[in-house]
Amino acid sequence: MVNSNTIAGDAAGRGASIPKYSTGIARIVNSAIYRHTLGAAVESRIGRVILLAGVPLIWLVMLHIGPIYQMLKISLLSHYPVQPGVESHFTLDNYAIFFRESLYFTPLIKSFIFATAATAATLVVVYPVAYYVAKIVKPEGRSKALLLLLVPFWAGELIRTFSVIMLLANRGAVNVLLREIGLIDRPIPMLYTSFSLGFGLVYLICLYMLLPLYSAIEKIPGQYLDAAADLGAGPFTRFRRIILPLSKDGIVSGCSLVFLTCIGVFATPMLLGGPNTVMFPETISGFFHGASDKWPVGAAFALIMLVTALIAAGIFMRLVGGKKGSAI
Amino acid sequence: MRNTVSDGPRTTLTAFYWAFILYLLLPLTLMMAMSFKDANFVAFPIGDWTLDWYAKVMQDKQFLEACLYSIMIAAASTLAATTLGTWIAMLIVADGIRGRTIIFALACLPAVVPGMISAISLRIFISTIDMPTGTAAIILGHTVHAVPFVVVMALTRLRSMPRNLVDAARDLGADGVVAFFRVTLPYLGPALLGGMIFCVLLSIDDFVRTFFLGGYRPTLPMLIFAKVQGGMSPEINAMATIVLVVTAAVGLYAEFITRRARTR
Repeated sequence: MVNSNTIAGDAAGRGASIPKYSTGIARIVNSAIYRHTLGAAVESRIGRVILLAGVPLIWLVMLHIGPIYQMLKISLLSHYPVQPGVESHFTLDNYAIFFRESLYFTPLIKSFIFATAATAATLVVVYPVAYYVAKIVKPEGRSKALLLLLVPFWAGELIRTFSVIMLLANRGAVNVLLREIGLIDRPIPMLYTSFSLGFGLVYLICLYMLLPLYSAIEKIPGQYLDAAADLGAGPFTRFRRIILPLSKDGIVSGCSLVFLTCIGVFATPMLLGGPNTVMFPETISGFFHGASDKWPVGAAFALIMLVTALIAAGIFMRLVGGKKGSAI
Repeated sequence: MRNTVSDGPRTTLTAFYWAFILYLLLPLTLMMAMSFKDANFVAFPIGDWTLDWYAKVMQDKQFLEACLYSIMIAAASTLAATTLGTWIAMLIVADGIRGRTIIFALACLPAVVPGMISAISLRIFISTIDMPTGTAAIILGHTVHAVPFVVVMALTRLRSMPRNLVDAARDLGADGVVAFFRVTLPYLGPALLGGMIFCVLLSIDDFVRTFFLGGYRPTLPMLIFAKVQGGMSPEINAMATIVLVVTAAVGLYAEFITRRARTR
């Protein structure tokens, strides 16, 4: 009784007696520095709020919104970085340039077509794999089957892109193999074309499709499929009427993720693409390297790309997913 | 329970799975094999085998410096991202916080914005605050990139944490700070360790942010990129193979840790 009273008293009116800790942390907690700084701060409500929310909120506002905000601001300026003697004023010209010149317009359209095609191809290729791991592999073996799929993704973006060159180059594995068999006399030019770029993109991003699909398909109860089979549905009907609708969430988030990644891929087109496959990111990057007074145009273009990409992903989510924001 | 998948589709799917694995592993295997080629151009068939390229890479000062530089940047940005990510996660799960969804959406923003745009906006941002491109800018960029992943990993773990653990600590006289460091943080431990390794891999792999924010000192991906553009040589293969083997080992270890954490 007496004991419990003391403990309750301690917890209620702290400072009356110093709490006892069994380890070295006591020395920190009881030190004068701690008591006057952190210790004092957590005593008051405001102190606690500042301690908890201060750094996170500053970071989020400064560095998660700040850069996008600055980009927006600069995209509306006529000159940046500001040079002596040049007035910088508000203008919408940087956006107008984009719509005037097909030189800028075409890469964005190309980027969109490429990203859409790559997303579709990834979905078609990865879906059976995700289904296999989620439904056909026995539960004990699932993590091993997944792990095997994850291994290549520990190699970075650049190394994976580079390894695709080994496969597709004129003296790469595919061409040499085909020549050995005698199917071709001279190598098929595969590298530095849309094909190699598409191949490389799918290779690069299939994991982003795999994981959402896998987790969606895994959740589908096996009994549904059994019931459908009992009622006479064939494999195709079962797939179309049960598996596909129930894995919709996975499809939506996988596709959005892959699409947004594809749009922003920068190094891969530079290494695998050719002169015909200049993508929008490369166009934008041109404004930042070299003459620096083109920054506002680059910022405007980057914003155009961001907004159109997000709108496209949003429309897709709305169309397929039914409700907005169900995915990411 | 009966098995609804008949043998036909089952065999097809199994074959498809292994074909896909082959597709994933073949290019990397070819790339590794090429690093042993005894000639100074990249082409199949490999012919004679040698270890010379590895010996050359190991003496390549540029490569070793890039390695150290990459590791330094990865360590700094991981430390910063883990601290900030955990802090943000603590804010999101705290009692009586308004706008939880908004804070969470904000925290995830850098993961949704395409890498290229994130890199450009950061490039503009550092110039508006008069920060030079270089090491500090790269670390900042990698930290921004990694924070959302730490937040999500920490949140997942925090949500599975029994509330009464912290309550008990508070009843026993620990203040908020002490309760965090002695109860919450150890509970988060395994998830955070997995998250940290993920951050390291993100940072070492990152190309586009480093490309825009970096100075003249190349990180590993920058060095490999420059070499690939400069012309193929099995030396690049040897370099990439070393990086690949090390990162894969680290990744496997991270997978092992997070899996153990999940089952415990």
